[in-house]
Amino acid sequence: MKKWISVLLSMIMVLSLAACGNSGDSSADSSAESGSNAESGSGESTGDGEKIVVWTLANDLKQFAERYTEETGREVEVVVFDSADYSTKIMQTLGTKSTDVDIFVGEPQMLPNFFEAGFCADLSELEEEVSTQLVDYTYEAGKDEDGVLRAVSYQATPGSVIYRCDLAEEVFGTDDPEEIGKKFSSFDTIVETAAELHDKGYTIFGDTGALRWFSNSTSPWVKDGEIIVDQDRLDYFDAAVELYQKEYVAFAPEWSAAWYASMAGPLPMNAGWDALEDVDASNPETQVFSYVMPSWGALIVRDNAADNKGKFGVCSGVCSFFGGGTFLTVSEYSEHRDAAVDFIRYCTLNDDTAQWWLEASDGDVVSSKAVLESNKDYQNPSFNNQHTYEFYAAELEKVDYSLITGYDDTCKEAFGAAIVSVQEGKQSKEDALKEFYTVVTTQYPELSIPDDAPVK
Amino acid sequence: MAAKTKTKSMKALLYFFLVVLAVLCFTPFWLMIVNSTRTGNEIMTSFSLWPGNSLASNWKVVSDNMNLGRGFLNSIFLAVCNTILVSYFSALTAYGLAFYKFRGAKTLFVTLLVFMMVPSQLSLLGFYDLCNKLNMIDSYWPLILPSIASPATVFFLRQYILSVMPRSILEAPRVDGAGELKIFHRIALPIMAPGIATMAIGTFIGSWNNYLIPMMLINTPEKRPLPVMVAELSAVRDITTNLGATYLVVAVSVVPIMISFCFFSKYIISGISAGSVKE
Repeated sequence: MKKWISVLLSMIMVLSLAACGNSGDSSADSSAESGSNAESGSGESTGDGEKIVVWTLANDLKQFAERYTEETGREVEVVVFDSADYSTKIMQTLGTKSTDVDIFVGEPQMLPNFFEAGFCADLSELEEEVSTQLVDYTYEAGKDEDGVLRAVSYQATPGSVIYRCDLAEEVFGTDDPEEIGKKFSSFDTIVETAAELHDKGYTIFGDTGALRWFSNSTSPWVKDGEIIVDQDRLDYFDAAVELYQKEYVAFAPEWSAAWYASMAGPLPMNAGWDALEDVDASNPETQVFSYVMPSWGALIVRDNAADNKGKFGVCSGVCSFFGGGTFLTVSEYSEHRDAAVDFIRYCTLNDDTAQWWLEASDGDVVSSKAVLESNKDYQNPSFNNQHTYEFYAAELEKVDYSLITGYDDTCKEAFGAAIVSVQEGKQSKEDALKEFYTVVTTQYPELSIPDDAPVK
Repeated sequence: MAAKTKTKSMKALLYFFLVVLAVLCFTPFWLMIVNSTRTGNEIMTSFSLWPGNSLASNWKVVSDNMNLGRGFLNSIFLAVCNTILVSYFSALTAYGLAFYKFRGAKTLFVTLLVFMMVPSQLSLLGFYDLCNKLNMIDSYWPLILPSIASPATVFFLRQYILSVMPRSILEAPRVDGAGELKIFHRIALPIMAPGIATMAIGTFIGSWNNYLIPMMLINTPEKRPLPVMVAELSAVRDITTNLGATYLVVAVSVVPIMISFCFFSKYIISGISAGSVKE
């Protein structure tokens, strides 16, 4: 019995030692936290020694942070998350009011959710600079429903038609962006242009999905609680169906292997989502003339162009638009608010940074108006020596942010589905539009169908 | 003679199917290895069974963007801890449920079965909140401790021990005066070893591949296990530029799984055929 008691006692001792050892380990983890917390108290006066944590979706901000640390000596930890789980992670972490993150990013379509959840701190102190120095739409997109500024972007993502200059020269006798832009200025002219290209054996787009970027040309999707399908949207509908049925496109959907391959050279028609080897080789070969993409898409075209590099140009399309972009926002629960705001100011409102990023990123369009202005004479060798920044700056001026609503994604997707069902002959146009209204009103019961809708 | 050719042709057919099966199983692995030596652009636009020559540049992308060694250590640490805890505590629980008669034993067992049906993803929200209240976010505790209680393993081992170990085997050590824990350690555990090994492989692989929970709970990049690091790697740049590098990391990350399988597989095979008591 005595033996057992001694064993028990020694066990307790060992366990308590082990427990101490463990807590020693874990205090190493937590000391980092409490250390930075403690520093934040003293750091507020000096502004130095605070480490801020940035959660983001890509490597860009790592480069910003390295430069920032070099220049100011302040530490920034950048954590990259996979975009598929990013929103969940933010919702989960900030839902528990965690102080682990100081700055996080959001794409324009994520921002309203983050604003609504109350995760984003008020950045009104930057408002004056943001509204004067940055491209207008990024300022508008960073405001919540009540007009309070909560997010700022270092990027601008103007849309463009990226076209093959050599093919333009051959078919139209010119590769001037102005002239080619006219060929894309409305849905009717796009169909005519497609027919001209078709006669020479070329296709205008990889896929009719390219037209979706122009679906916001004249009116918002939702206005005064009503779903708007105006004449312009009907034109878009008809153009997409016509291009499809007359086989004016290559049937290589965006992001498919064939779509990537089309940038570098000819490809067989009807590749769809198959690997190129699986495509029927007897299909006639074609070359894709143009791509409709935001400015980052132009870089994708450039990087996949291989021998065609330098043969692409950019011009405007039916309307000016923007797509994607990274917005920075300070967490409402951050304990290093001042340091975080300083980093955001550095990334977005500092023209030296903007100029550096424009060069370091090899072609990203920045949100600083002054930097876009000062680079307008730059001739881009990847784009036929065009003045790309001048072009993009002008496009950005034309972006009408008042046409953007929170319903856009749903509406565009449902409208796209309606188009596909008509293209494939599954439904008449009338039925497809009716279904479009049904899909949108099911998801958003507060919306109504206006009296002058094309179908009832 | 006829019978002989028949068995021969049967054998040929059998081998033929086995070879086809082996090729089918191996092809995805081979493609993964091949793709890890090609650029993202090549992978997107074409298909090849022969390795390319971008291994070095892919490796550079990997070493520039992630700390592969650290991810490996993290994942191995988590997987080994989980495997040991699951094996030992599940065996202990299974033994208790199988051989001790006590009030509520049946109810306990049924409760275990019920919890087996709840997928862990479902309880994620509550689990996150719990960890947050316990101040365990961004530490390894919530990734390791829950493995002490794994109902599915307990269930399997209980059925297993009931089939391989008759109750009468316990009478000898009890008569000889061994304590209950000693009986478990010296007699029950070795008999259960093949069953435990089978479960251990599953646990090891499950922990090695676990993505969702570490992704949610770990915030510090250095503490991330491999799958979360891979997700980060594929996110850092446009997908086409990093695809080859991502394949490379995935190819490297299956190596421990293969090693652990080789290590444990002889236990599994011997476990299926061997019983402890000859009838």
